[in-house]
Amino acid sequence: MFSLSQRFQTLGNQAITYGLFISVFIAITSWFQLQSQDADLVPSTIESIKPSLSFRTSRYYGSVNGKPKENAKITFDLETDLTPLFTWNTKQVFAYLTAEYDGKNTHNEVVFWDKIITSKDEAHLKVNGAKSKYNIWDAQDKLSGKELEFKLKWNIQPYVGPLIYGETIGSKDVLVQSAAADDDNK
Amino acid sequence: MNLRLELTRFLKLCFVLSSAFMFWKGLSIATNSHSPIVVVLSGSMEPAFQRGDVLFLWNRNERSKVGDVVIYEVQDKSIPIVHRVLREHHNDKNKQLLLTKGDNNAGDDIPLYGRKKIYLQKERDIVGTVKGYVPQLGYVTIWISENKYAKLALMGFLGISALLSNE
Repeated sequence: MFSLSQRFQTLGNQAITYGLFISVFIAITSWFQLQSQDADLVPSTIESIKPSLSFRTSRYYGSVNGKPKENAKITFDLETDLTPLFTWNTKQVFAYLTAEYDGKNTHNEVVFWDKIITSKDEAHLKVNGAKSKYNIWDAQDKLSGKELEFKLKWNIQPYVGPLIYGETIGSKDVLVQSAAADDDNK
Repeated sequence: MNLRLELTRFLKLCFVLSSAFMFWKGLSIATNSHSPIVVVLSGSMEPAFQRGDVLFLWNRNERSKVGDVVIYEVQDKSIPIVHRVLREHHNDKNKQLLLTKGDNNAGDDIPLYGRKKIYLQKERDIVGTVKGYVPQLGYVTIWISENKYAKLALMGFLGISALLSNE
């Protein structure tokens, strides 16, 4: 009646059932915790964005067939407090500074800077004159002359359950001047 | 030896296997992805995902968003890669170009795309977007596929339990 495999099977089934129940409980309670901490209402200030342009000829900088490709970098100031995103089910928060812009019949969104935050102690972000992590180029032609809308967005990676996305309140519009216009100003 | 009993047992085994297969294929249709549940094999997304973590995918979205963690397969390479979308460019005709990067990697994925490509295409290359996460549960499959003794032990255990379950 009670063979080894039967015992093993019963044990396995129970472990899976309880595991599932606990996981669902954790996911649901952490969602309520996020709501009560107003995670969707976190403010951020993005200031003094200064774009700088350069031309690259490598494929790894968006150049096709060695034609010079316009690359953009920025420096920026950022302040926000992402502590409300931390619940008992938050493993890490991925915060990323994006820029949205419209091209010819296209809509684009690119990430200039990001940061992995693994504990509440690091959740208060305050950077001044920080450099963007990535060189950005436009898929079609170039970024200069385009109006970029900057926002800070976040993604919560849980210990178990669904990935949660959102954005902070606050944005900044910046027009990228062409390199020639930059020279005129000097 | 009772032939009827043996046949019933065989039928039950077939039933278990076919229902597992139906469950997998049903999930595939529901999510519109050819592998709706995947196990992470590399550390390129640490600390978010470690080796052996199980990811649940969804592929019915028209477009990927920046920040999404996606699974993609580059043509001619059968290894699926789990990385984050850092840029998206789409036009009115719903053709979308994506650039991805692993959280734990220094640079973006252009060297992985190969063949002079500098973007992924949503329709062609994306297997799914990660929606849900369960840690470490998939480590068994890595352990079994990479350790020949583990494979033998599993076979042996299944064989012995089949022999012993002669109730």
